[in-house]
Amino acid sequence: MRSGAPAASLTITDLRKDFGGTTAVDGISLEVPPGSFLVLLGPSGCGKTTTLRMLAGLEDPTGGEIRFGDRVIARGDGTALVAPSERGAGLVFQSYALWPHKTVRQNIEWPLVVARRPRAERRPRVEEVLEMLAISDLAERYPGEISGGQQQRVAIARMIAPEPRVLLFDEPLSNLDARLRVETRGELVRIHRSTGATSVYVTHDQVEAMTMATHIALMKDGRIEQFGTPRELLESPRTAFAATFIGTPPANIVECRVEGGRLRAYGVDCGPAPEGAGAGTVTAMYRAGSLAPAPGAEVGPGCLPATFADQVPMADRWVLGVDLPDGTRAHISRDAPADLRPGDALGVRLPAAPDAFFGAGDGHAAAGAAL
Amino acid sequence: MRLSGMLSASAALPLALALVACGGGTPQEPAADTPAEPHELDSATHEELVELAQEEGTVTVYSFTSRIASIEAEFEAAYPGIDLVGHDISSSEQITRLRSESQAGAPSADVAYISDAPVVITELVAGGVLQNYVPPRVAETVPQEYREPLLANRLSTKILMYNEEAHPDGSPVENLWQLTEEEWNGRVVMVDPAVRGDYLDLMAEIVRRSDEMAQAHQEHFGSEVSLDEGVENAGRQFIKDLYANGLVLVDDTDNVNQAVGGTGQEDPPVGITSYSDRRDNEEEGWALQASLGTVPSTGITFPAYIGMVNGAANPAAARLVADFLMGDDSETGGPSFEPFYVPGDYPVRTDMAQPGDAAPLEELGAWDIVPEETAQIRDGVADFLLTL
Amino acid sequence: MPTAPPPRRTAAGVRLARARTALTRPTAVLGACTLLILTVLVVAPLVGLVNTTLMEGGRDAWGDVFASPMSENLLWRPMGNSILVGVATAAGSTVIGGFLAWVVVMTRIPGRWLLGLLATIPFALPSFALALAWESVFRNGLIGGSTGILVNLGVAVPDWLAWGPVPVSATLTAHYFSLSFMLIAAALASVNGDLMEAAELTGASTLRVARDIALPVVAPAMVSGALLAFAEGVSNFVTPALLGLPVRFHTLSTRLYGAISTGDVSRGYVLSIVLIVVAAMIMYASTRLTGGRRNFATITGKGGRRRSVDLGPWARPVAALAWLLVACTTVVPGAVLVLSSLTRRTNDFTSGFTLHYWIGGSDPAFAQGRPGILNNPQILQATGNTVLLGVCVALGAGVLGLLVSYAITRSTGSRWLPGTLGVVSFVPFLIPGIALGAAFIAQFGAPIGPIPSLYGTFAILVLAGIAATIPFAVRSGTSALSQVSRDVEESAVMAGAGLFRRIGAVIAPLTARGLFTGGVLVFVQMVRDLSLVVLLATPAMPVLAVLTYQYSSENFTQLANAVTVVIAVISVGATVLARRLEGAAQPWNQNS
Repeated sequence: MRSGAPAASLTITDLRKDFGGTTAVDGISLEVPPGSFLVLLGPSGCGKTTTLRMLAGLEDPTGGEIRFGDRVIARGDGTALVAPSERGAGLVFQSYALWPHKTVRQNIEWPLVVARRPRAERRPRVEEVLEMLAISDLAERYPGEISGGQQQRVAIARMIAPEPRVLLFDEPLSNLDARLRVETRGELVRIHRSTGATSVYVTHDQVEAMTMATHIALMKDGRIEQFGTPRELLESPRTAFAATFIGTPPANIVECRVEGGRLRAYGVDCGPAPEGAGAGTVTAMYRAGSLAPAPGAEVGPGCLPATFADQVPMADRWVLGVDLPDGTRAHISRDAPADLRPGDALGVRLPAAPDAFFGAGDGHAAAGAAL
Repeated sequence: MRLSGMLSASAALPLALALVACGGGTPQEPAADTPAEPHELDSATHEELVELAQEEGTVTVYSFTSRIASIEAEFEAAYPGIDLVGHDISSSEQITRLRSESQAGAPSADVAYISDAPVVITELVAGGVLQNYVPPRVAETVPQEYREPLLANRLSTKILMYNEEAHPDGSPVENLWQLTEEEWNGRVVMVDPAVRGDYLDLMAEIVRRSDEMAQAHQEHFGSEVSLDEGVENAGRQFIKDLYANGLVLVDDTDNVNQAVGGTGQEDPPVGITSYSDRRDNEEEGWALQASLGTVPSTGITFPAYIGMVNGAANPAAARLVADFLMGDDSETGGPSFEPFYVPGDYPVRTDMAQPGDAAPLEELGAWDIVPEETAQIRDGVADFLLTL
Repeated sequence: MPTAPPPRRTAAGVRLARARTALTRPTAVLGACTLLILTVLVVAPLVGLVNTTLMEGGRDAWGDVFASPMSENLLWRPMGNSILVGVATAAGSTVIGGFLAWVVVMTRIPGRWLLGLLATIPFALPSFALALAWESVFRNGLIGGSTGILVNLGVAVPDWLAWGPVPVSATLTAHYFSLSFMLIAAALASVNGDLMEAAELTGASTLRVARDIALPVVAPAMVSGALLAFAEGVSNFVTPALLGLPVRFHTLSTRLYGAISTGDVSRGYVLSIVLIVVAAMIMYASTRLTGGRRNFATITGKGGRRRSVDLGPWARPVAALAWLLVACTTVVPGAVLVLSSLTRRTNDFTSGFTLHYWIGGSDPAFAQGRPGILNNPQILQATGNTVLLGVCVALGAGVLGLLVSYAITRSTGSRWLPGTLGVVSFVPFLIPGIALGAAFIAQFGAPIGPIPSLYGTFAILVLAGIAATIPFAVRSGTSALSQVSRDVEESAVMAGAGLFRRIGAVIAPLTARGLFTGGVLVFVQMVRDLSLVVLLATPAMPVLAVLTYQYSSENFTQLANAVTVVIAVISVGATVLARRLEGAAQPWNQNS
């Protein structure tokens, strides 16, 4: 690290970004300690990239505040705005954004030149990061002459060369093939650790999030749906959206009506309603492992009608995809493949109680949520 | 620093705008709406002028003809120590330039040798941009109309010319009204008067001489000219009929010369051009000849003026140039007049002989324009042409 | 460096802090600065122009033009003709320029380098050379004098083909398609090969790929080219004067020059304001029509590969057509120009040839004793001046144009600033050169504060040149910039590079191709332009265009043409040289 500059904590308070009439980021707050690997996770258009660009300084917030450590780097009212290069942050773009007219070495060195680092310091640093990313052989090539994976490494090398305290990644793996993606994931974590910096990583891929993050901020429509460790998000999703977005396979959601203290869905009794639930509907969550195919297409209390769609092996288990009567896709996890063909009817046996309840409407975790 | 730069620039801007606002280039600027007072050097003797001019050391001349180059050499030979800087600039550009320079208060020429008489007299002389100077040496030999309000040294022409190869027995046009008849339909060529001032002057002169045009109509057709609705006089009626008879307009006198003069044509057109272009007949393979004896007139003669630029840096040398441009006292004007002593142009000095190889001025029978009077109707004629 | 705790928030404090942070957003500052410069260079002269028409000049110029018996011939019909000619020129230039750009960039037709070079030449030729070339082929007996090749061969040439809107539009197209060609070729060259391959893999035909994939990507360049061609077509004076006048085909520009040269300055200025407004409206309408598809960033951080289209059986006809077009617009006028400087008699190719007008000494039998141009020290001096002027203006306009187009394409927030910049930077095109020159004398002729009078200096020529050519520079800058992805620049922001460093180290090299193209356009424009410099050129400092004009107004046509050949050689030389430099300046593109 540059003369021991410590990694910074990251604090976001009520951060907003309006573009003309539309709101891209709608008042988000979070805080992570130094050295964290924060993943901003969410579907496209949820505001995660805009948030990242505000952290980088490429967009100015229209409300709220961002701090790296104790230092305010941006305020929505315009009273503080630290220039991007003064924030001690580096960014890897989705497109890598290498400078096509500079060689790999020049790409890595130029930010150091701009920062007026002395030549004697620059040269060894460039060699060091070239080495670190195993791209020394490519140093004299132009970006147009190397592969996508190699460009990606150059982009990372360029980012870390000035030794930033905060690393920012904008979906950096989305242009890579599946295998390279898995490899690079490990590489990124290694780099994150070795630099000791705080990282913020934007992705829509929950697997990336789960494997790399120390903290995940799950975003939807410009808001944070849930913030926590990967395990918290997986084990205690606070909303139906969180439950269905995270996990492999994701959890299943069944809309139930409450009738006389009992839950009913698809005309089937699903067990007792949670305490305190009035009349109306509740959303019940069942993990894939909590469901099981009923033998012989049986349908009845605690057993929903369904149609078999597909099955895939996952680790040492099999995940069955079935369609509920209204077309909702449900996943069942079990030890062995099922002897069914797509289109076959089957029953889905529910556990005695769902893994969790969410209130109707806002989809937030309801009272009595149970594991 | 950037901010302060912006500030000073933004302070300069309103200034610039104000300047433009008060100096946008109108015809009647600057404050001098009346001709300037006579210059103190106007009565100086030749010797005094030479002495002063040699102190000035240089003189800048705008000339509407490139012949200024040979003048330059002659002048510097005659007056060593005075550097004549000659610039070949067309009359209309001289007018714009002199006017703009005068408004900017930065005249860069001392002498203007310029044609386009009506504009020069009514705008530059009346507006005080140019002053008149008549060298005492030649005052006696220059007729009054070429001494006042501005001195001229020669006359140029815009006259009807024909192809003498196709018409060896003289001009096929005896009366201008013939040009409005079927025989000459589509076979009269001239430069668009809406583009070139000297052609506009010819049109204006035809209108000004409406009585003569009416009489010529009587002679040719044996009847009074009948005016169309909205047409005020015989001159305008002639122009209207001429346009209606397929008059061909081009952009440049060279095009007229080629069309009219080109040899080897069976049935060449006639056209309006400069008599002096006839001197290029051999070089260019033309057979241009002046349509002498055409009734009521074959065209116009107009003066080439020598003006002193008001407020210029070298007034003495400027007056020396004016004196020089009038030629020496020999019959041909000597070396200083030689470039202008060509057949088809006419020196104004009564003590000079007219160049040979061309009809003498009296025989040419061209109308000599009166700039002030032409200026009065010129705009109206230009507007009339635009309605045709 | 601001660190917590936050400052106390008084209203004034907030405003001050905001102002301070706004200054750290240099794009806004840049936009404001460039607008200021353009205001001085463009708006102020324009205001002067308008002012002149409003002063009491004895005659009511506006009334004369708009509501008098003359209006029909002075305004309405010429306006219709101008629009007709402008639109025809824009359409023709886009079609021909686009076709040639496609052939040169996307196909493997043999000799396409030469083809590409020749296609840029017509713009460097003077308009009258093309008009003269047309005449030497199509001239009929309408005027009299000699006739063109076709008539001499016994082919009857109707008047509509020899004179009027058809030949005017055709020759203007032949003159200005180079603009479209250069802009579109630069844009096409940056189309990522992957894009084309992806499209071809879908089984789409070559034509379809060109139409659906390449066309939208180069659309901004096409629109730019069309607008330039339109404006040039509308403001060109020589061609309609030569080919239109004999059938009384007037355009606004011929009426305007007529008014100014017969001394009716106010009326001329009114017409030029009309010209500006008409062209501005057309420009506005066309950008509205195409506004939705303006920003295609196709240079991503990944270097794109170029890819050629295989024409199959069409290769020969396409090649033949391309060569024919280039031959008609370059070789023929070029040859006409050279030959006409060698003829014994003006424009008479049967009169025999002589080298006198090039190398002869003073001989009274030729041009009243003028020596050949290579024997004339004044020509050599003028050549030096001209080149220097061209280089200075190209550099000045290039830098300003890049900054303006940067402010236009990269401005965030309010849209009026880029919009205003866009319009203001286009306006000089529509101000006739002679009017701009007069306005400049009026504006800079007298000292302004600490600035001394610029009249008669080289500086005023350069300033006016920059003002006159800024439309070229901005258009080519915008078109080049729209090809650079925002990411590539933002990564430089992240590296801490300030605005000017970014422009210098990232934007400029990446847009070098487009900037070179623009620079050459400006250079060529300056070298051959007459109307602007004719008033401003200090008489002590001759430039070639003014000499041509003087020679031709003295009827020394061969000398004028010989000087024009020199101008054309300089222009073409610059084009070739720029091509070379362009290749050398982009080593990362060498594998294409």
